[in-house]
Amino acid sequence: MAKLKSEECAMDMTPMIDVVFQLIIFFVVTLKMTDDTNKDIILEEGKDGETLTQDNMPPTTLEIEVDEFGKISIHNAKLSPSDLAGILRNRVNKYGNEFPVLIRADKRTQHKDVKRVMDVCTASGVWKLSFVAIQEQKAGKKGR
Amino acid sequence: MAYKKKANRGEKVELSMTPMIDVVFQLLIFFVVTLKQEDIFAKLTAARPAPNQNKEEATKQDPPITVSIGREGFFFNDRLCSEPELDRGIERISGFSKTAMVVIKCTQDSTHGNLVKVLNICYKHKMENLSIFSM
Repeated sequence: MAKLKSEECAMDMTPMIDVVFQLIIFFVVTLKMTDDTNKDIILEEGKDGETLTQDNMPPTTLEIEVDEFGKISIHNAKLSPSDLAGILRNRVNKYGNEFPVLIRADKRTQHKDVKRVMDVCTASGVWKLSFVAIQEQKAGKKGR
Repeated sequence: MAYKKKANRGEKVELSMTPMIDVVFQLLIFFVVTLKQEDIFAKLTAARPAPNQNKEEATKQDPPITVSIGREGFFFNDRLCSEPELDRGIERISGFSKTAMVVIKCTQDSTHGNLVKVLNICYKHKMENLSIFSM
């Protein structure tokens, strides 16, 4: 008892700091500060589609967005159909016509606006087109 | 100088951990608050009909199944039907052949959501040959 009184009981902080640093590193790595997709696009549900992962989305993937009013964009940058045709031509010249094209269209968009994008793709020689749908909702917003 | 040396020799220099732990906890709380879970997306692939399709090849295949999408809803082989009816129809056909061509015809004013619904039904029953026509 006498010994305890004279010495200060110090808690070892090292393991806690280790764990906290691990957590911080995890959050830094998983954090995505800017989202470069159009947030106004509401996708249709497609539970049975092929899950989009990093593995089946090579860097050559081109994701074309079509919003509710038929406006075309890539990474949230608005484009005209002729701009899109230019981008597609460059891609086809570089990689051939086998690179994956994803069309991320709003579920309320009329088919004629999606058709305009598909026509540009087929005119550039890209016949295989994929449509993005939502497989599992996690962000908590209904209909996203 | 001599005094300082004498003072350090006997005592252990201890680094104060408190400010660092404070900052680290602040960072941790920031990252926990800003973290949001991402949705999982799926892709539904279909082809557009190529103009130079080989006619011989086309005749060898099973007759195509036509699903039309209009403003009123879905038409399975030109008959208006609901989504569950379409699901059952495609399921029945997938029992005979998974390679049969499914032609999805969309009118200009149909919504894209309905096209994705039809593609999803085809994917559900593992139909491989999907083609989109625009009317």
